Amino acid sequence: MTINASRRAFLQRASALSLAGSAAPWAINLAAMGEAAAAGTPADYKALVCVFLYGGNDYGNTLVPYDTANYNLYQGMRPTLAYSQAALAPTVLVPSVALAGGRQYAIAPELAPLLPLFTANKMGVMLNVGTLIRPTSKADYAAGISLPPKLFSHNDQQSVWQSQAPEGAASGWGGRMGDLFVAGNGNATFTCVNVSGNAVFLSGNTAVQYQVSTTGPVAFSGIAAPLFGSAACSSALQSLVTAPRTHLFEAEYTRVAKRSIDAGSVLTTALLGAPAITTPFPAGNALADQLKFVARMISTATTTSTKRQVFFVSIGGFDTHDGLAAIHPGLLTTVSTAMSAFYQATVELGVANQVTTFTASDFGRTLTADDGSDHGWGSMHFMLGGAVNGGRFYGTAPVVANGGPDDVGQGRLLPSTGVDQYAATLGKWFGISDTDLLTVLPNLANYNVTQRNLGFV
Amino acid sequence: MDTVIEHDPLDTPAHAPAGTPAATPIAIAAIASAALAACGGGGSDPSSPGAGAGGGTPAAPTAAEASRFLAQASMGASRANIARVQAIGYSAWIDEQIATASSQMRWDALVAGGYADVSFKNSEGGFDASAWRKLLSSPDTLRQRVTLALSELMVTSIDSLVGGGWKAFAAANYLDVLEANAFGNYRTLMQQVSTNTAMGMYLTFRASHKANLATGSLPDENYARELMQLFTIGLVQLNLDGTPVLTAGVPTYTYSLTDITGLARVFTGWDFDVGGTSPAASPDFLRRPMIQYPANHELGATTVLGTTIPANTDGVMALKLALDAIFAHANVGPFVSKQLIQRLVTSNPSPAYVGRVATVFNNDGSGVKGNLSAVLKAILLDADARSGAVAAGASAGKLREPMLRFTGWARAWNASSPSNAWAIGDTSSSSTRLGQSPLRSPSVFNFFRPGYVPPNSAIATAGLVAPEFQINNESTVVGAVNYLQRAVSGAGVGDVAVDYASLLAFGDDAVALVAEINLVLAANQLSAATATTISTAVATITAGTDPNRLKRIYAALTLTMAAPEFTVLK
Repeated sequence: MTINASRRAFLQRASALSLAGSAAPWAINLAAMGEAAAAGTPADYKALVCVFLYGGNDYGNTLVPYDTANYNLYQGMRPTLAYSQAALAPTVLVPSVALAGGRQYAIAPELAPLLPLFTANKMGVMLNVGTLIRPTSKADYAAGISLPPKLFSHNDQQSVWQSQAPEGAASGWGGRMGDLFVAGNGNATFTCVNVSGNAVFLSGNTAVQYQVSTTGPVAFSGIAAPLFGSAACSSALQSLVTAPRTHLFEAEYTRVAKRSIDAGSVLTTALLGAPAITTPFPAGNALADQLKFVARMISTATTTSTKRQVFFVSIGGFDTHDGLAAIHPGLLTTVSTAMSAFYQATVELGVANQVTTFTASDFGRTLTADDGSDHGWGSMHFMLGGAVNGGRFYGTAPVVANGGPDDVGQGRLLPSTGVDQYAATLGKWFGISDTDLLTVLPNLANYNVTQRNLGFV
Repeated sequence: MDTVIEHDPLDTPAHAPAGTPAATPIAIAAIASAALAACGGGGSDPSSPGAGAGGGTPAAPTAAEASRFLAQASMGASRANIARVQAIGYSAWIDEQIATASSQMRWDALVAGGYADVSFKNSEGGFDASAWRKLLSSPDTLRQRVTLALSELMVTSIDSLVGGGWKAFAAANYLDVLEANAFGNYRTLMQQVSTNTAMGMYLTFRASHKANLATGSLPDENYARELMQLFTIGLVQLNLDGTPVLTAGVPTYTYSLTDITGLARVFTGWDFDVGGTSPAASPDFLRRPMIQYPANHELGATTVLGTTIPANTDGVMALKLALDAIFAHANVGPFVSKQLIQRLVTSNPSPAYVGRVATVFNNDGSGVKGNLSAVLKAILLDADARSGAVAAGASAGKLREPMLRFTGWARAWNASSPSNAWAIGDTSSSSTRLGQSPLRSPSVFNFFRPGYVPPNSAIATAGLVAPEFQINNESTVVGAVNYLQRAVSGAGVGDVAVDYASLLAFGDDAVALVAEINLVLAANQLSAATATTISTAVATITAGTDPNRLKRIYAALTLTMAAPEFTVLK
């Protein structure tokens, strides 16, 4: 009843709005949209959005050493792939807190759409973060002490990033965070939402990933309309695909189909009442399509009585062993234009301070490279949102080297910050207690209490 | 394991047409039969019908048993195939299939279709049709099933075959090579895949060169890693039965980063054999194995899995030594056997089942390791595959991947494409089509992983895996049913059509109609209650005319293929 009542109220407002909008100038219309957003998203709502870069992003050509000494080291290790220092000049990051030792970084020119967000303190940069069990030294690495399982393997490191365990893991930290908020959401299904494929990241102990396409829920044609003209056959179809089964695989199949039908119906209705998003998203950009749908779902949070959501979106193609110079810049353009548009959409919806977006990837890559780079470990990532303490770097800038103090050879970075610390910082902002964070993130206890919140949001 | 005779991969003429098997099918069949006679059929249960060697004259399989066997061993059962299996038994049917010649190869179909014209150089045109034609209609249905399984084990994907143009030909040739080796030897397959142009492009070792001393850059590790992790031995030491070797409860890794960098040195210097023809004018170079360009090959000594390849070994010999070292690893048998069982029969084979098949992989009875014909027989004739009691278990079998649901329908009623266009196209869309398509995996990790566990499910609680569920979610579960609903009524599949004559005969009797569909398409695994649900609903559609009878058929097929008892093959 609560859902229906608030939905009715919202629809009335939306309807009034569209009347006003038809006569109002664009700027006034936008202001009105802000009001619609207040109706669409609860004031105490928060969302985490994971942008996963499948394949292992090449950190060297993402966040490029710019101070002359380190630029020269970078250029020397990948002369055929290095950006020129001149090309990087327009995208040099000027942080509010300078890095030690005169270190400077530029983001790749293709990430330029994110530069204003860094400058406006809405985006922070995480230096050398990766999968760790506990703080790990090069001596530990050499001795094989407490290392994450199956380093350098795509599928396993994707899983370790998402769940602290290799492939086959039962739950991920996005899902375990979701577990804590399922009860506070009107519809548990919308707690963990994947607009990409299936990912262990969003599976909790109770929270279940809900997968939805970029065009919204997909309905069974044979249920939406009489199956070959027969309403009886439509009923049979609905019954067959939703009935509980005793065979474990059959049961899982009908469980998913039933969730698809039940949640799809609620979400489709909610989306009908959602405000139109006017922020332009780049066309032909699969990541932008996913993020635009995330924005649309956020705009239905009041209707679906949702207070906390964890989203997962992804883009593949980052396994740049070959042809990096031809492939990687295009991928970065896709990411930067999609993330920039998404941030603007959260501003339009009036929820910029309630949505925190962050990047993740299998692993970083080697810095030494000719045509492409190989599987690495630590990498550079971005945190974006109105609540982010942006405009600065977090973590420690690694020494640029092949076999130096901060890499395990070829510039494969030994992470100086663990994924658990990165996740704990996000979780703390999301509203998770220090005690619960220790459960959500099993390796967190291995870090000193003062190092568990990196403070970037 | 003592006296293993390996096929020498270098025996195969370097420029043999990809469609030519290394040995004649008849010869392989003879070896396979002898092997089974010698080793007792890989643990098959002599009391189960048609289980082959050793049990005297086996009882003929029932039609339902034959249909279930064909759901595992073919692209889909049909009345004719069911009758054939009943007539000659499982083992003889496999022999017959092995002896069946390949139909026109995909490459040749592309040429015949005019796609070798330079206007198609930058196109994928013709590829999907060349793949679907085989899957939906080629008479060597077991070979097609194994080819599809191999394409999900040694994965490439057409979209990423970048560097030579003519993607359709590179992809078609890759499937042709898998097909040519489907009943051959795994070591030969390793050789041919490791010099295949599509794989060279896909896992980027084509044109990989020796270390760059100026930058410290090492050879490309991509293929070296995935060859071991995904195609041959996996990450952890395995027992013969496929379970991990545990030391104090902890698995042992099969290789280290040092092995990867070592093996990467072997995969340097390989590139297209452009011969005398211009790659811009003709795709022919893609059909020839890659060759060595010695100036780019790393000549320093290297070590792979404990085998040292001496300094100054040429690239061709270095590859042979490296593949020999990998193939000799004890993991290959259980690693490959278990995944083939998962593709054909069940997601969770018992360790004993894996062990029986891996034993045959390691020695087919005549001392040969890697004989895939013998391995396939061991898989399909095993008691665990044939036993009705095993099939009745609460977690038996596997989710039919969407491609196999579609081919099952097409094969059941003899799909044809009168124009020969086979215009199925790319079925990858997860919300409107099958969510997968031949040789269009999103990555080298296939559409789904052999160890995938649907999180937060009863399957996970039971400690089981369910690979195909990795592409089963709220969108795909609907998209696939919607696609099949359109396909059965002839929508969206070009002129591909099946022959519903045999079903029209049941058009006025909904119970008989559903019984026939249940037998041929669903291996009689729809329960009586489900069959009644479907036939009762279908009976509400007025019959009496063929157009109305067709509506009944379309509805019954859609409902059957949406039903969990069909989507999960026990």
